[in-house]
Amino acid sequence: MRVLFVCSGGMSSAIVVNALKSEAEKNGVHLTVKAIGSSEVAFELESPWDVVMVAPQIRHRFDKIKKEADEKNVPCGAIPPQAYTPLGGPVLFETLQKLVN
Amino acid sequence: MSKFTAFLDKKVSGPMARLAEQRHLLAIRDGVISALPFIIVGSFFLIIAFPPLPESWSIAQWAAEHAGEILIPYRMTMFIMSLYIAFGIGYNLAQSYKVDPLSGAQIAVASLLLTITPTALDELGFVLPMQYLGGNGLFVTIIVSIISVEIFRICKQRNITIKLPEQVPASVGRSFEALIPVSIVILLMTLITVVLGISLHEIVQNLVAPLVKAGDSLLGVLIPVFLITFFWSFGIHGVSIVGTVARPLWEVYFANNGEAAASGEALPHIAPEPLYQWFIWIGGSGATLGLVIVMLIFAKSDYLKKVGRAAAAPSIFNINEPVIFGVPIVLNPLLIIPFILTPLITATISYMATSIGFVSATFVKPPWTLPAPIGAYLATGGDWRAIILVFINMTISAFIYLPFFKIYDRKMLLMEEGEGETKVEAS
Repeated sequence: MRVLFVCSGGMSSAIVVNALKSEAEKNGVHLTVKAIGSSEVAFELESPWDVVMVAPQIRHRFDKIKKEADEKNVPCGAIPPQAYTPLGGPVLFETLQKLVN
Repeated sequence: MSKFTAFLDKKVSGPMARLAEQRHLLAIRDGVISALPFIIVGSFFLIIAFPPLPESWSIAQWAAEHAGEILIPYRMTMFIMSLYIAFGIGYNLAQSYKVDPLSGAQIAVASLLLTITPTALDELGFVLPMQYLGGNGLFVTIIVSIISVEIFRICKQRNITIKLPEQVPASVGRSFEALIPVSIVILLMTLITVVLGISLHEIVQNLVAPLVKAGDSLLGVLIPVFLITFFWSFGIHGVSIVGTVARPLWEVYFANNGEAAASGEALPHIAPEPLYQWFIWIGGSGATLGLVIVMLIFAKSDYLKKVGRAAAAPSIFNINEPVIFGVPIVLNPLLIIPFILTPLITATISYMATSIGFVSATFVKPPWTLPAPIGAYLATGGDWRAIILVFINMTISAFIYLPFFKIYDRKMLLMEEGEGETKVEAS
């Protein structure tokens, strides 16, 4: 599964990416996750992604990002604040699964 | 969420965050940010030209003799940053209107260039004065870039363009479509600068002079510092919002300091962005590296021990979302107090230290993910006292967070013990 992680500059989400990946591996799911900044969303959505997850600190930009994802029929959801840490793997994975199903 | 914080989130931070998402503000922000690689790399030639080495060393002597040549890459990048920024604003604004971004970028550059006047010199031919292509021209750059792209997109949206038959290749068609808006923009700018002989730069500089002065005062530093942690307290990226409005000013200070450093003059401004980045936001907004240190040493609860370990490495590189969302600080009244208080205090100390000359003002822009002591050393052009100031601020931050953290840690510990008991009872 290909997951796009969006935060302000693509830095902080890169840290959270590993938490999600290792939780997914535990559940036998292999993920490709890319962390990007919010200004790169439109460009990245030109390639095929299965799901877009948006970091909590840019929730004021969520509607705009969701619209861009909707146009490409890619499910898009917000990451819960308490999951946005290197320890947030389980909640992140749960959020991801809800988004995909 | 208590009623008060819910009220603040809904009525204050929410609307302000949405304001920063306004189309033109976003175009300015992305335009300035697009020029950052050139500004960062260009600024490093200032260190090379004036290396922080004893004057007797041969490298230092070589640099002093060749400063003019060493600074050429700086002069072609950071020194004329407005040229790059005009391109960036034009591109981003046009893109947001879904009209051809490249044309938008070019129109913005043309309108900026038409605010200055070339002079003919016998030996060189025509020469363009660069004085207003740097920080001094940034406000005019913002204004003319926006106006010219607005003219472009209105022409485009109202179909005031020359349309060629469909058989004509797209790239040819596009260049013709821009003919009418480009003529309007060029005639307008020529009218102002050449026919009427008005220097937009002088007018705008006089208009913004009070603002430039205010942003460089202690209060002008404390206000953005407060607002940034205020936004983060609700979990909203403070710098990305406050920076949208403040960054043009910060870049003006930065450019002016760079110009002064290049010509060997005293640095005129205290508050370019590197002041915030390296002395105030140590470990990220809220100066949270101090909190992480406290967490690593004093945490008794399992959870905060884990958060401390997980957040330590990112914090050294000034990434503190794991702290802000992990501890969490967001909507946690107990920790919001030191989170807002600490940077206000370290900002005051850093401002004072710079204004009395204990540390040099900043004129180099190292990438923001460097550890603070290294970043501060480079940003001040190699002032070792900057490292001392960083450690002073880190210590102060740790001591301010300590009492609040201890209360919070005890609370977490009690909860963990409580959970343990209930588990025992359940089994």
